[in-house]
Amino acid sequence: MELTKHWAARLDDYAIDVAWSPDGSLLAAASASGPISILREADGSPLHELPGHDGGTNALAWLSSLASAGQDGTVKFWDARAGQHVATAKLGSAWVEHLAWGCSLLAAACGRSLTLLNPDGSIQNAFDDAPKTLSAIAWRPRPAGGGKEFLATAYFGGVRLINPEERSISREFPYANGIHALAWSPDGKWLVSGNQDPSVHLWVPDRDEELQMSGFEGKVRHLSFDLTSRWLATGGGRDVSVWDCSGNGPEGREPVMLPHEAPVCALAFQRAHGILASGAKDGAVHLWSPERGQPLRATLRLPAPAAKFAWSGDDRFLAIGTEQGVVYVLRVQ
Amino acid sequence: MQEPIPVTVLTGFLGAGKTTLLNRILTEQHGRKIAVIENEFGEVGVDNQLVISGDEELFEMNNGCICCSVRGDLIRILGRLLKRKDRLDGVLIETTGLANPAPVAQTFFTDEEMRSAFRLDAIVTVVDARHVARHLDDGDESVKQIAFADVILLNKTDLVSPEDLRALEERIRGINAVARLFPTRNCDVPLDRVLRVGGFNLDRAAELDPKFLEAEHPFEWAGAYPLPAGTHELVIGHGKEQEHDGHEGHEHGHDHLHHHHHHHGVENELKVAVLPVTIPPGLGADDPEPGSIVAAEAVADRLFSGEGSLLPAGADTMPGPTLRRLRLDHGNGRYLLKVASPGHYLVFEECGEFPLHVHVDGSLVRPVWQRDYHFAHEHNDDVGSVGIHQLGDLDGTRLNDWISTLLRTKGGDIYRMKGILSVQGADKRLVFQGVHMLFDAKFDRPWGLEPRTNSLVFIGRNLDRAALTGAFQACLT
Repeated sequence: MELTKHWAARLDDYAIDVAWSPDGSLLAAASASGPISILREADGSPLHELPGHDGGTNALAWLSSLASAGQDGTVKFWDARAGQHVATAKLGSAWVEHLAWGCSLLAAACGRSLTLLNPDGSIQNAFDDAPKTLSAIAWRPRPAGGGKEFLATAYFGGVRLINPEERSISREFPYANGIHALAWSPDGKWLVSGNQDPSVHLWVPDRDEELQMSGFEGKVRHLSFDLTSRWLATGGGRDVSVWDCSGNGPEGREPVMLPHEAPVCALAFQRAHGILASGAKDGAVHLWSPERGQPLRATLRLPAPAAKFAWSGDDRFLAIGTEQGVVYVLRVQ
Repeated sequence: MQEPIPVTVLTGFLGAGKTTLLNRILTEQHGRKIAVIENEFGEVGVDNQLVISGDEELFEMNNGCICCSVRGDLIRILGRLLKRKDRLDGVLIETTGLANPAPVAQTFFTDEEMRSAFRLDAIVTVVDARHVARHLDDGDESVKQIAFADVILLNKTDLVSPEDLRALEERIRGINAVARLFPTRNCDVPLDRVLRVGGFNLDRAAELDPKFLEAEHPFEWAGAYPLPAGTHELVIGHGKEQEHDGHEGHEHGHDHLHHHHHHHGVENELKVAVLPVTIPPGLGADDPEPGSIVAAEAVADRLFSGEGSLLPAGADTMPGPTLRRLRLDHGNGRYLLKVASPGHYLVFEECGEFPLHVHVDGSLVRPVWQRDYHFAHEHNDDVGSVGIHQLGDLDGTRLNDWISTLLRTKGGDIYRMKGILSVQGADKRLVFQGVHMLFDAKFDRPWGLEPRTNSLVFIGRNLDRAALTGAFQACLT
């Protein structure tokens, strides 16, 4: 397996988020200071530069359209191909820090409030404030055999499950600490949080079960499930831990440890294949096949640590936004 | 690894002058990139500066205990401030007037990222000289804001009399003996006294008037006398005899600002206690207090907080744990002291203004050791400072056990704790600071030729100096 540089492009500040267009032909890259660059997959040349948000852009999400969240308390919708601003939803005075597309709705967290937005930018529903600022959100994928789509939201003190159709809070799971990350297994069985304490907590909402894994070197901010829902990768130190979630789950099982020489700062399984990409503060990027005896498949070192990873839909490209504002697109062969 | 970004926390009641100081900093430091995190009712507006509103969101880590609470909004904002290509030169956090500074300070101890990316440079408290006395009487928060401070601006000094100002300084010193205190009018202090001061620089602690670091006692003087068995005389006042070689009202050492003398207690009465004590052979006048004296002081603290029993003129008394109220005639009095077994006796005197002598067989006995104490203030704020300065090496294990136990059991009362310690086997200084139950320690520079002196300061509520000193000494090798 080979990991090579496809191209690189420079933003004006820290690359706070990157997102591929659904067809993989464009990459959106947001600078922490505000502007959003629309770059061509073919050569990284800029198609447009969108103004983004006053005070800074925080997050991107691209599905039916490109959406961005900012410190101005808004979510903006863009026609990236035309380079046009389409709609703005003003959600409040707090920062909008988290964005996630479900099947048809965009979830946005602004301070303590969660809002669901339609693709045209209109508000589907604004939910009651959480007790504390929302720190992560994640959609539960709609199970293959049909069924409901749920949204999980985390705050200091717990996790709420939200039913978008009924526009209601359906469940609440207390957790007495800060939560930095949320992830669902693709089969919808496991809901996982990465925590300040530092630990990883798992819920099986359908069976009211909970598991806890502790002993991490630092707070856990990065989580990623593989497409089979078997492997859960977690950061929280110099090692990536990969947990076997088959059967009764990972509690009490030894994880596969994938070592870095500096704290892990980015983590992402491929979308349709089994390769895990991990990045560390020393700029190292490793590709792993966690189930193999020799899991390390490829490695490369960037001049700056990764801030964000995004695999293209066909898994051929790994886009990396870095702390120094350079966006790299790496090719996997 | 880059140097951590210095963080200055500005506290103070509404109207004290925080905004004046903040605007001065932003105007005069325009060349630097400083992010300001202000409270929600923000009043600051300086062009091209990064101003972010916080909302004082508390994360209570442990059942709502404030000692384990951190500021969630600060964690979030500081985390976002790190997401910049160009490093910030500093961060200023302005708290609301009523804020408890503990969660703000504790935020910088939350995790490795916070500790390595930021350095709590100083907590700067702006105090309104006109109103602070009332605030200190009314509530906890202003006492805490003073107790937590590394730098205190006693502002609006033009609005109070010099006498009131001196009294205020004294009262503030009584709460926090180690902060740098600057009287100001419009927060007009050179900014290098406020920014990047390395707040936690204990090197200057030794320059402070050591009395500020001492516990306050309800007595002003004690002397240790070697006494044979028999009946001796306690003589108060000069009377007709003028002694030239005795304890003459302890005028020496009274030149610091605490002793603008007035009589404490009831007119023409003097509270006295006489306790047996073991004095180590060869104890010099300037030697640190041996544990036996510290223990006797603790007993005397308890005795002097009681009423005591009135002793008529000329009556006799015996050494022991009883407080005597001596009746004086125009400042003079003679009492008999009956000593059953020979040894050293510590005589504690409530008010050091009265000359006190012990006569054995009609001749004067000199104390082998004596000391003036820092009398408890009339405003007895129960928040104060305890300082320890001592040469020697500490046993790392014992030190660790002591500090862990101390923080677990007394962390709620210890607001701040700072120290530079000499640990056996380590050639570098161990520098630590703590807020309530959280603390951070690291070795900084080698001692080199410098004497290995341990300096520790505790600021908090109801601190037991004798117990802290004793426990510290037990860690010495």
